[in-house]
Amino acid sequence: MAGLSLASYTARRAALGLVQVLAVVTLVFLLVQALPGDAAVALAGDNPDPARIAQIRAVMGLDRPAPERFAEWLIGLPRLDFGVSLVSGRPVAEFLFGGVGPTVVLAALTLVLLLPISVLVGVLAALREGSLLDRALTSVSVALHSIPEFALAVVLIAVFGVQLAWLPPTAVGADLFAQPAVLVLPLVVLLARPICSISRLVRAGMVDALASDYVRHARRLGLGETRIRFAHALPNALAPAVQQVARTTDWLLGGVIVVEAVFVIPGLGTVLVDAVAARDLPVVQGLAVVFAVTTVAVNLLADLVAFRLAPRAEVVA
Amino acid sequence: MKRAGIGWLLIAVPLTLALLGPLFVPEKQTRSAPFMPLGLLGTDFVGRDAWHQVLAGGQTVVLVALLATAFSYVVGVPYGVIAATARLRVVDELLMRPLDVLLAVPSLLVLILVAAITGHGLAVLVGVVTLVNFPDVARLSRATALEISGRPALEAMRMQGESWWQTSIVYTGRSMLRTLAADLGVRLTAALYLVASASFLGVGVPPDASDWAVMVDRNRGGLFLQPLTVVVPALLIVALSVGVNLVFDRALRKVRT
Repeated sequence: MAGLSLASYTARRAALGLVQVLAVVTLVFLLVQALPGDAAVALAGDNPDPARIAQIRAVMGLDRPAPERFAEWLIGLPRLDFGVSLVSGRPVAEFLFGGVGPTVVLAALTLVLLLPISVLVGVLAALREGSLLDRALTSVSVALHSIPEFALAVVLIAVFGVQLAWLPPTAVGADLFAQPAVLVLPLVVLLARPICSISRLVRAGMVDALASDYVRHARRLGLGETRIRFAHALPNALAPAVQQVARTTDWLLGGVIVVEAVFVIPGLGTVLVDAVAARDLPVVQGLAVVFAVTTVAVNLLADLVAFRLAPRAEVVA
Repeated sequence: MKRAGIGWLLIAVPLTLALLGPLFVPEKQTRSAPFMPLGLLGTDFVGRDAWHQVLAGGQTVVLVALLATAFSYVVGVPYGVIAATARLRVVDELLMRPLDVLLAVPSLLVLILVAAITGHGLAVLVGVVTLVNFPDVARLSRATALEISGRPALEAMRMQGESWWQTSIVYTGRSMLRTLAADLGVRLTAALYLVASASFLGVGVPPDASDWAVMVDRNRGGLFLQPLTVVVPALLIVALSVGVNLVFDRALRKVRT
């Protein structure tokens, strides 16, 4: 992999991403196909009349062979045509656009806060290795790391929302932008796990980098300590952290689903949970595609950034 | 050392409740109005004694997480070893490439999708958590087995004509044990996390099940009236996951140093 240019690396990595997206989309379609009893049976009600089922099937095009429907669905995806909801008859895209706002706000704010905080904490801990701050950080992050979001959320709501009444316990009927207080608890819950893992990685990378040969060499050359730390050591320390940020999107998406459910925020996670409860499969299918594409895209982006920061880094395909 | 002590303490409370709690639930349960200040913690959303629910509700979380972790090793280790020791590179690719796809999808999404399609049941929950967890085990086993198969010791054993059983199972297996054990804590916490989150979202368990995560979800409506019916099961889950993590983290440090 030596001497790989950014352009050719990008092309390779993008091709892999495309294959991943196609594979996931196919998998989702097959999974939904595997369902016992199709949408027509679900729609026909409690006492299904075979003639009625056949009629619904014909109307929805379910009597056609699966490869044909798959091709049609696949062609529709780039045009954001995800099909029609079984329950309400509205296009699935409408559900997605309806829910995307709050979810993007939550995810974007989390990432915007996550990066500076975890880098700062990690660097501080590394510069004072073995100090009280360093040890406290390690203990807290080991402990916080594993807590399921819903349990943390409920405990925080009980303390800050109900007992102390400092913050609103849920976001029912609130406008996310008009009342930013609504977002405080959800953001704290979403940030708790990723901050721990990323700041620990930054710390480890920074400790390694500061002890490395090139930093010792830079010191011998008489470069300023600030320049050594932030222009030479930090970029190398960040590369593994950036890739971990990408893996965090996995948690973030899962976390967002849970956090939206706990705080009653009408985002994509709530749409998903409702669609699953109503067995509205086209909506579930559409959401699965959106989530999968997002995850693949973020991973792609992170690998590219990591490659740019430390080009020698072997990137796991 | 101190941290591991706290860890054991944190595990002990929820684990004792989960394993011994069901023995102390009275046969005949009386129902009263929802969220009344009766009993130790008050009553839950359908008027059952919340303390009895806490006693009965730990079993599923603990058992499902343990079973799913065990299964992901049972499936993942042979899977990874076969991929690593396959003579044909195609077999390796065929086995490992699909896992990349599985790893590209958010785990909670896989869980929700599969559970939506296959329906309720603890077996489904065990199956799905295994499905989500085993790719990591398989990858780790493959990497470890690859490293071991290149060792001179194994080469020498092969030349001496040791049996396949001796080289592949006894020697390779024993050498992998330590790496796999070090990873156990991470797998177990991941399984606990997934099981609890799935139950909270109503995936895989019936809506009135005696389960800590389900209690947290169902009793949220009474947070203002009987906060303990929500906070106690939530804290038990927190204690369990933090405890497991602290104990394994400590054990890992001991192995490394």
